[in-house]
Amino acid sequence: MDTLVQLADVSKQYDSDGSPAVADVSMEVARGESVAIMGPSGSGKSTLLNLIAGLDRPSSGAITVGGERVDTLSETGAARYRRRQVGMIFQFFNLLDDMTVFDNVLLPAQLAAMPASQARGRAGELLAALRIGQHKDAYPARLSGGERQRVAIARALVNRPALLLADEPTGALDTATGEAIGELLLDLNSSGQTLILVTHNPDLAARYTRRVIEIVDGRIAGDACVTGAHR
Amino acid sequence: MKTFPVLSAARGGLSGRRVQAIVIGLVLFGSTAASTLALGLLADSSAPFDRAFAAQHGADVTATTTGASPAQLAATTRLPGVTASAGPYPEATVSVTAKVTPSIHVSSGGHAKGTPITLHQQLTLVGRSSPAGPLDDLTLKSGHWASGPGQIVLSSQSGLNLAVGSQITVTGAPGSPKLTVVGVATSVTGTAQGWVTPAEIAALHAAGTPEASQMLYRFSSAGTTAAVNTDIAAVTAALPHGSVLGAQSYLTAKAQATSSVAPWVPFIVAFGLIGLAMSVLIVINVVSGAVVAGTRRIGVLKSIGFSPPQVVAAYVLQVAVPAVVGCVTGAVAGNLVAVPMLGQTAQVYGVGSLGVPFWVNLAVPLAMLGLVGVTAAAIALRAGRMSAVQAIATGRAPRPAHGYGAHRLLGQARLLPRPVSIGLAGPFARPARTLVTLAAIVFGVTTVIFGFGLRTSLDRVQANLSHAASEQVQVFLAGRQGPVVINGHSSAKLSLAAQEHAVQAALRAKPGTLHYVAQADGQISVLGLPDQLSLIGFGGDANWTGYAMIAGHWYSGPGQVDVNTAFLNDTGSAVGDKYTLISGGKHTTVQIAGEVFDPAGGTPEVIGSMSTLSAVDPGLSPSQYQVALAPGTDVGSYVNTLSSALGKGYLVTVNNSGGAVLPAILGLVAALTLLIAVVAGLGVLNTVVLQTRERVHDLGVFKAVGMTPRQTIAMVVSTVAGTGLVAGLIAVPAGVALHRYVLPVMGNAVQTGLPAAVLNVYRPWELVLLALGGLAIAVTGALAPAGWAARTRTASALRAE
Repeated sequence: MDTLVQLADVSKQYDSDGSPAVADVSMEVARGESVAIMGPSGSGKSTLLNLIAGLDRPSSGAITVGGERVDTLSETGAARYRRRQVGMIFQFFNLLDDMTVFDNVLLPAQLAAMPASQARGRAGELLAALRIGQHKDAYPARLSGGERQRVAIARALVNRPALLLADEPTGALDTATGEAIGELLLDLNSSGQTLILVTHNPDLAARYTRRVIEIVDGRIAGDACVTGAHR
Repeated sequence: MKTFPVLSAARGGLSGRRVQAIVIGLVLFGSTAASTLALGLLADSSAPFDRAFAAQHGADVTATTTGASPAQLAATTRLPGVTASAGPYPEATVSVTAKVTPSIHVSSGGHAKGTPITLHQQLTLVGRSSPAGPLDDLTLKSGHWASGPGQIVLSSQSGLNLAVGSQITVTGAPGSPKLTVVGVATSVTGTAQGWVTPAEIAALHAAGTPEASQMLYRFSSAGTTAAVNTDIAAVTAALPHGSVLGAQSYLTAKAQATSSVAPWVPFIVAFGLIGLAMSVLIVINVVSGAVVAGTRRIGVLKSIGFSPPQVVAAYVLQVAVPAVVGCVTGAVAGNLVAVPMLGQTAQVYGVGSLGVPFWVNLAVPLAMLGLVGVTAAAIALRAGRMSAVQAIATGRAPRPAHGYGAHRLLGQARLLPRPVSIGLAGPFARPARTLVTLAAIVFGVTTVIFGFGLRTSLDRVQANLSHAASEQVQVFLAGRQGPVVINGHSSAKLSLAAQEHAVQAALRAKPGTLHYVAQADGQISVLGLPDQLSLIGFGGDANWTGYAMIAGHWYSGPGQVDVNTAFLNDTGSAVGDKYTLISGGKHTTVQIAGEVFDPAGGTPEVIGSMSTLSAVDPGLSPSQYQVALAPGTDVGSYVNTLSSALGKGYLVTVNNSGGAVLPAILGLVAALTLLIAVVAGLGVLNTVVLQTRERVHDLGVFKAVGMTPRQTIAMVVSTVAGTGLVAGLIAVPAGVALHRYVLPVMGNAVQTGLPAAVLNVYRPWELVLLALGGLAIAVTGALAPAGWAARTRTASALRAE
């Protein structure tokens, strides 16, 4: 098994007096896997995702992604790591409202100094593949929730990251739209994209991933493969 | 209105927005300090002599007496009309020598230290045990008061530019005692050229000369020259005949001070007005931004039951607390900064001391707080009138309605790094705030450009007036009247022609002599002119003497003269005109070849050859030689050896007519420029802090998709860099225009035009650099919040609303 993500005894404590948000978590994710991290509100699942993404730093433990120690990176190193290795999808999309759809998708590529023509080509290709090419000159505020999430997915994929991280990607969407996004993520995983998805919804976890890691009060409470059909 | 919830809300707001509170405090601190200083300067520029005279208890009349007993002198203090008096202080006039190391102008444009030379001068000394007194409070500029024998406090107006620690030798006193300069002081009416202890006067007193005393008086009626003359007559009549050797009216000192003040007031007023305007602008920007940033919180307060008046009160209080701290500390700082600056201003004005008037210390903080309160209340009221939902929605997502097009356009700019193009588009989202920031930077850079130009102009004025670069040495003749006491010795009785012959021979023989010319100075009454006409006649080629031309050219032929602006104004003539000078039965018609830059205190002046001018003033005869030295000649050594060669009777001196006024002015200009630039930078700081706070969530997104800290800094700095560049471009013509406006106003104050070289001081490359000052101010103001943005944890930023 080609391990892409490895966590070893990772903990995160925000407040020295309080309980840890994440406590002694160890896990591995293989390249091409799709994993759901599931748990109730406040269980630490988003914190865990942020740690893997390098958006935050653990209090202890080691996090390795693609052979790179994420927990010891400087801010600059973490930013570069995110450009190269990680694409992030958020519950509330986190698009920049004063940039067009096309500019939003282009942004990670521009920050990574990808040649302009290559970046524009890649962005156009993604928008077309995600069926939102017709909105490329529109501003996010004009789009529906589902369309905005597709833009966010395109932005996350523009630098061809090894790892796609999604934090409640359907949380702000209606059921039908959420299903469509779920299918999209499934398709991406089928084509080899490693996916870690955070959700509090067991149905979503079962339908769109092959492995579910349960987390309760910051600790792993279960780790099981999901069997059965997803569609 | 219940106050506890209001106080609680204000306290909560303060603790939750510490950075904002600090920025408000800092900006109010800077603006109050700048406004206190600016208003203090403006207030003191209006009748500075009168202020200084009142503050220092100046004497209406300074009388020198001899032969009157202490009882007789005391009786004069009880004359009707005398409201205050001081003295008798012992007084003596002594001849002194001092070694000075001249600062000489070198051809590369700077100054260097020359060989020490010996100065000879007469000083009027007064014996006082302390600088304070019922009248004539002296302002100690440096050092300390004389406390024992062998010590002297020099007047800053003595003409001897000696530092504390220097020594002077009293040549006319028994034993030629040495005195050490222990301090430098100023008297508002120039009552003496130096002060020693009362016992020292007896030691310095030359044998055979009568003992003298100084008395100082204030009178109930001394507003006019006639009134002062009446007062002097009353004192004279009360003393034995011949006791009063001399009496100086304060009005003479006032007239001198007023004429010396006049040219400096315009630029100080310009700085003062800019400082005030900018401070007001920035305070409004800061406070309005702070309250707008709290719109969501206002909505939350309303949703839990706060009424609009309570909301307004909470926000006014929240802003007022740091504002009060900033205003109070700013007023204190303004006064502390004012001490050296007003000291320099007083030196410029020649009035001893100036202070920040009490009403300024009260008015500025109150006005600033009033501005803060009104601005905060107006904006909080607007938000308070919204429904709670509307306020929360507006505050949570303050999406600008502007700037989309700019983002789009700049997104196409492939030559720019993406973080920079994102940042450059930022100002378009909030055009009103951007305009205010632009205005603040424009003020700041305009001031820098104006200050730079003013400095260059004043340097050139100084060089033009002193002729120090062209006439490095002056040789003074004993004159027709000889023998004259010079250096404590009488000159030989030589005819003027013989003196000239001796000087010319010595100058020709002296290596290092490049040019020399005899100069004659005269004053005549001329028909048609209300004032005396000053004549300067040269005995040969004098076009190297360094007079700057305002118009026309240096006189070059017989009958041609050059005149100053006062002459043209008084006679109504112009360059190129012929004018007939008629005086005492003599007359001559001259052709005005040019207008020279030589204010001469507003006295009309004619410069020409001695042969031309002697037609109307037959008594015009040379009194000195102006000498130019060959490059590389050591001035001090030249002066010493020439003086030895000529022997007694001649005064050979370095032309070092600079004085302490110009450095004081330049110091003041530099300090005011820096202060205004700093306040402009604070305005930028506030803008960037607000922008960064408003867009902290977007910042999180940028970082989440891979923006590094360095790119974040570039983006944040770019949000104001464009504004700074534009401000610099606007400020260049504004600063140049201000310079072009103020300089002639300064010249008009002393009745002179200005040579082109004094007005045209900006070189193109200098303007380019100065324009970049806008960028410099913007970048400097943005660096701190840019650093904060770079250091912000991405996860925290994403969680921010």
